Amino acid sequence: MFTPLDRIFSIIAGWIDQNAILPILYHFGWMEWEELSFDWMLICVYGVFALLVTYAICWPLEALRPIERWSSRKAVLPDIFYTVLARVGVLPIVSFLVFYQVQVWVNGFVVDHGYIPPMLETLIPPLLGHPVLTFLAYALILDCSDYWRHRLSHSFRGWYALHALHHAQRQMSFWSDDRNHLLDDLIGALWFGVVALAIGIPPLQFPLLLMFMRFVESLSHANVRLSFGWLGDRLLVSPRFHRIHHGLLAAGRVSCNYGAVFPIWDMIFGTADFSDAWPATGDRNAPEAMVSGGYLAQQWGGLTHAWGQMRAGHAKRKAARRQARPLSS
Amino acid sequence: MPVLDRRGFLTQAGISTAALAGGLRPGRAAHAAALRPMAFVMNSGAANVSVIDMTTRKVLRTLPTLREPSHWALPPDRSRLLVCDAGGNALFYFDPETGQEMGHRVMADPYQIGYSPDGRYFLANALRLNFVEIYRASDFHLIKRLSVGGMPSHLDFSPDSRVSFHSMQQSGTLVAIDLARAEPRWTAKIGKVPAGVLYHNGKVLCCVMGANYVAVLDPASGEIVGRIHTGIGPHNLFLTPDRKTLYVTNRVGGTLVALDPATLAVRRTYPLHASGPDDLAVAPDGKLWIALRFREQVAVLDPVSGHYDTIDVGRSPHGIFLNTMLARPGLVTAEML
Ligand SMILES: [Zn+2]
Ligand SMILES: [Zn+2]
Repeated sequence: MFTPLDRIFSIIAGWIDQNAILPILYHFGWMEWEELSFDWMLICVYGVFALLVTYAICWPLEALRPIERWSSRKAVLPDIFYTVLARVGVLPIVSFLVFYQVQVWVNGFVVDHGYIPPMLETLIPPLLGHPVLTFLAYALILDCSDYWRHRLSHSFRGWYALHALHHAQRQMSFWSDDRNHLLDDLIGALWFGVVALAIGIPPLQFPLLLMFMRFVESLSHANVRLSFGWLGDRLLVSPRFHRIHHGLLAAGRVSCNYGAVFPIWDMIFGTADFSDAWPATGDRNAPEAMVSGGYLAQQWGGLTHAWGQMRAGHAKRKAARRQARPLSS
Repeated sequence: MPVLDRRGFLTQAGISTAALAGGLRPGRAAHAAALRPMAFVMNSGAANVSVIDMTTRKVLRTLPTLREPSHWALPPDRSRLLVCDAGGNALFYFDPETGQEMGHRVMADPYQIGYSPDGRYFLANALRLNFVEIYRASDFHLIKRLSVGGMPSHLDFSPDSRVSFHSMQQSGTLVAIDLARAEPRWTAKIGKVPAGVLYHNGKVLCCVMGANYVAVLDPASGEIVGRIHTGIGPHNLFLTPDRKTLYVTNRVGGTLVALDPATLAVRRTYPLHASGPDDLAVAPDGKLWIALRFREQVAVLDPVSGHYDTIDVGRSPHGIFLNTMLARPGLVTAEML
């Protein structure tokens, strides 16, 4: 369906792999990763392309129909750093290598115990041979699983303190999607890993479809007065829909509009808010380091905030128990 | 275990003893000569197999797999082509004569597969999950799952079917497995990232991809008795059906090297221009069909002139099977073409 573009990207990725990556792997004695290195280069090449397209579409939109006008865009800089780390493939590749052995151990363990992780097409045989349909089915299921991960992250004090890094941004733009705490990312990866054991990994032969979904997520954070209309807002997460999730009142343990790509899960599970509102974004409880610090300050701030919140929660539960005791005795 | 068959009936993975004794079904060789010549290309990055008409060089059809088809094996009765899909945890069956789907079965992470020459054993290397599985070929009964090193990659057998040889990409070893006892016989440390393995002229050849040579080993002891320098990062090796040329692909160098199979001296080097040459197969006209990983193409190379044409396939073409091989008597494996 996108063959000419895909071939150009393969050739670029192959050229980089052959001329830069393979010699490096060879030099350092890491050739066991040679087969995967081509896939990594594909991730990088598609990632750069997707970033350029996202920028080319979102920047004019933000310039033409901004919700807020900022005197300084300095607070956006760390968000750009988060985006490049995540989208150009640095974070995915590094985390793949870091967790490779864990993944091997878990998969080996379940196989040894007689469980071979199925794919969606082996669970629903008519899907085999219809990769686009399969991809869409995976996209829906994984989006649903992500809805629950996100909703749960808002329900636990310590977990939300990590996720507050995503909410802390007061100058929310299309760069803000990947602004996450590394530990929160790690929980997300484990969450996905468990789902993958149950239904397998989605087919990866449609990187452009995947890019489109990531684009929707970027656009949903854009500082642009844009809704997709009554029906459109119910089909795909729009900037208006996701901005309500980032509103000051929605930052915390009671929130709405948790969906990342499809609003349908919010509609089904009763958390959708389609109001025509453009609230200011941010989280008043987040320490300033998580709001306006640099990348490292935000990560460290997230850790201390989460630790403080967990201790506060513990103290609160203890106090509640103490109060309950005289009543019961 | 019955096999899930997309045509709606159950088949067994059995091989008739008559076929084993004769190597070919009666009349099959004559029949194979009248076949439409087709190439099967396993597109690892596209989760499908391209079936190409070798005469017109047009893609006839694209057969779906699950995630990542890589390599193939042909059972001794040649009734079907087996294609492994490690990412999809499955083994796919195709009709090598017609290019039609014949169903699939679940298998954990099969990356490289092969039948022992006597047809008794079917072996699968699980590169990702670090084990080697030994199956009874007649009914796919799992005899043993062995952990003998990290990242088992390529495999081959001794001609008497007593021993299989497996390269361990991560451990840097070559492991010989005694098939009757289902236990390792020896483990040889041969260098960084060993890859393609071939039993040849009473020796085992193993490409050492993290270095610039092919190691020559004594199959009885696992002792290294020689090294052939072929170029940087040798990946796999293939013997032509006339047994007159041994080809080696160099992954880092991006080249194809022709060796004299008797002396193992380098005869000629073909540059393939950063195209990521992977598996290859030899057509009856002597041309080499080579999967070009980075180009989404198959090259058809004339080894005399060194020129090649290309055919567009799917992303990351990996293994390649030509059904013209069905007309040849004897053993057909991915390395002994
Ligand atoms: Zn949130
Ligand atoms: Zn958000």
